[in-house]
Amino acid sequence: MRPYLEAVNVSFAYHEGESVLSGVTFALERGDFVGVLGPNGSGKTTLIHLLARLLPVEKGTIFLEGRDIATFPRRLFARKVAVVFQEIPGRLDLPCFDVVMMGRIPYLSRFRRETKADEEAVLWAMDVTSTLPFAEEPFSELSGGEKQRVLIARALAQKPELLLLDEPTSHLDVAHELEILNILQNLVRLGITVVAVFHDVNLVARFCEKALLLKKGLLCSFGRVDDVLHEATLKELFGVPFAKVPHPLSTRPIFIPLGERVLKQQRGWVHLICGGGSGIPVMRLLSEEGFSVSVGVVNRFDSDEEMAERLGFPVVREKPFSPIGEEALREALELARRADAIVVAPTFWGWGNVANLDLALRLREEGKPVFVFAETLRKERDYTGGEAQEKLSELCSRGAEVVRHLRELLQALERRLWYNA
Amino acid sequence: MKRRKRFRKSLLLFGFIALCGVSLFFAQGVGQGRYALSDSLALFHPAGLPLSERTILFAIRLPRVVLALLVGGGLALSGTVLQGLFQNPLVDPYILGVSSGAAFGAVVAILTRVYFGLFTVPLFAFLSALGTAILVFRLARVGRRIPLETLLLAGLAVGFFFSALITLGMFLSGENLHQVVFWTMGGFWNRGWEEVKMVLPFFAFGVPFLLSFGRELNAFLLGEKAAESLGVDVERFKRWVLSVVSLLVASCVATSGVIGFVGLVVPHILRLLGFQDHRLLLPLSLCTGGTVLLLADTLARSVIHPVELPVGVVTSLLGAPFFVYLLRQRKRGL
Repeated sequence: MRPYLEAVNVSFAYHEGESVLSGVTFALERGDFVGVLGPNGSGKTTLIHLLARLLPVEKGTIFLEGRDIATFPRRLFARKVAVVFQEIPGRLDLPCFDVVMMGRIPYLSRFRRETKADEEAVLWAMDVTSTLPFAEEPFSELSGGEKQRVLIARALAQKPELLLLDEPTSHLDVAHELEILNILQNLVRLGITVVAVFHDVNLVARFCEKALLLKKGLLCSFGRVDDVLHEATLKELFGVPFAKVPHPLSTRPIFIPLGERVLKQQRGWVHLICGGGSGIPVMRLLSEEGFSVSVGVVNRFDSDEEMAERLGFPVVREKPFSPIGEEALREALELARRADAIVVAPTFWGWGNVANLDLALRLREEGKPVFVFAETLRKERDYTGGEAQEKLSELCSRGAEVVRHLRELLQALERRLWYNA
Repeated sequence: MKRRKRFRKSLLLFGFIALCGVSLFFAQGVGQGRYALSDSLALFHPAGLPLSERTILFAIRLPRVVLALLVGGGLALSGTVLQGLFQNPLVDPYILGVSSGAAFGAVVAILTRVYFGLFTVPLFAFLSALGTAILVFRLARVGRRIPLETLLLAGLAVGFFFSALITLGMFLSGENLHQVVFWTMGGFWNRGWEEVKMVLPFFAFGVPFLLSFGRELNAFLLGEKAAESLGVDVERFKRWVLSVVSLLVASCVATSGVIGFVGLVVPHILRLLGFQDHRLLLPLSLCTGGTVLLLADTLARSVIHPVELPVGVVTSLLGAPFFVYLLRQRKRGL
């Protein structure tokens, strides 16, 4: 069976030789919710206009229900495909009801009045978009979010099977943005196929089923959101590195553009002893302040290990849920010897990681400056029955410096590494 | 709720049509610098009048009144349609260079003294106006499209060219200067049933045609692309509208000269009064344009009796301040 909407090798150029889209091929099923992403000038709007038949396809063909869209009569096509444009019309003083009624134009013959059926279609469209309360109000007096909803209602009054939207949320604040996306999701549930251009990767990641990535007029990739949206594809698309983090309330991920990290003047190398997530704030601070950091020994799958990995720091690992072994310890010692200072994060101590304190003691004996967070000295944090406390107090008596918080650590590091050196 | 609104619209429309009728009734009674109710009432029982009076009222005054009504309505309707089509407040019915084209034709007819009947000058003006419209249209076309900017600029350029020719004609016209100048000012001096008959077919065809475009013009309020996505064949629609408007306006200009202001400002006044729905705006501008021009002409021929002012002077002198007043009150631009 032919897919619902199919673009085959579609190309377009506004001016001879400057193609805006070239060789774009994809196929959609009925009821898909597709987010189109791409940097500025990648041809997103052109693609929407081509699908809406507002521009003639230059090469290739677009099929709707297996039929070349160029062969549809105008009014029939307008009953199947509706468009919401990026620009919101100004100076439109008509009541919203009348604005939405414009969507019935493809159904009305020139001298015929609107019928009951037209009115019902308008009321349905306004109901779905929750715009009924301001049906009688002039369009120009609405807020941006309300206007956009009325314009979506106008498109829905066409009773389309395919709804195309060009950046429907670009003028809206967060609350209105979510409102629009909820409306679109409901429409998809009603069986309408939705193709929308978005600026925001996360809207696509969270709400759409499929993503279509365009770059410089070429189709980068197309498929289910989970398959297509990755740090690597996004970096290729936008030229900026992204971090993928889990959404706190959803299975869908969030993408954070990182930008090229601005490196301050190289300030030295710190080896961090941590575990159980205690090292995360320390790593963030040090990396922001331009320090190189090495980490270890930590267990694999520890959140500290994952963080170090994400920041690209060298890590010495031990097997999950295992006490630190000889080999890892030796490796960590070798690594940490090259560091300028050792920091002990505000972590908890148990039989699994207490060996890290031997590492710190050994390095202190070799003359490395060592900084210990005060919190980690507390009795409640020791689950070894006093052994960790003993080692920590020995560490302090041998000249390790105690710091109370991150800011103090930074000051202490600066003092040691810059003025004493 | 919906029905009440429809009722209000019908009432409003009826009111405006009644206004047309009342002003016609009134204008018919104005003559020789005064108003006579008996002259107005004579409209209803023409038979009982002496022949001389009947001639004045029905062969001289009435055709002039009717012509003013038609021309005013035609210009205002054309202006509204074009402003809606191009979504631009500066567009007027003469955008296609029809005015200067008509004036050029008239000047040629007057100066070359070709004569084949009473209709020579209007006929020359009409043909020249249409020729100019077609020329501008051709110049403005880019492929299959007619962008507004090129249309405005082409109209402007062609207009300037013909204006220069008209000025040259005036310079060389010698004793005919008076006639030429009067023609270009525009007005309804000595217009009779012949002129009405000349205009009428274009109205009978063009006005209903333009009035039926309300819904499509509303769609243009959303933008050209949106209108297209609603199944309107935008470029074909433009060609049709421009052709019909050109015919209508050319017939107006050919019979009564270049009368400005009505076609540009009447649509704006109605919009400022809060009418934006073209299904209502189009008939209202037809009625209002007719009424305005009729009253202006009535004033022009009676205010300094026995001298007749050019009607364009009256429309602009009274209309411009009123327009500015409305503009300042609303302060939301066009």
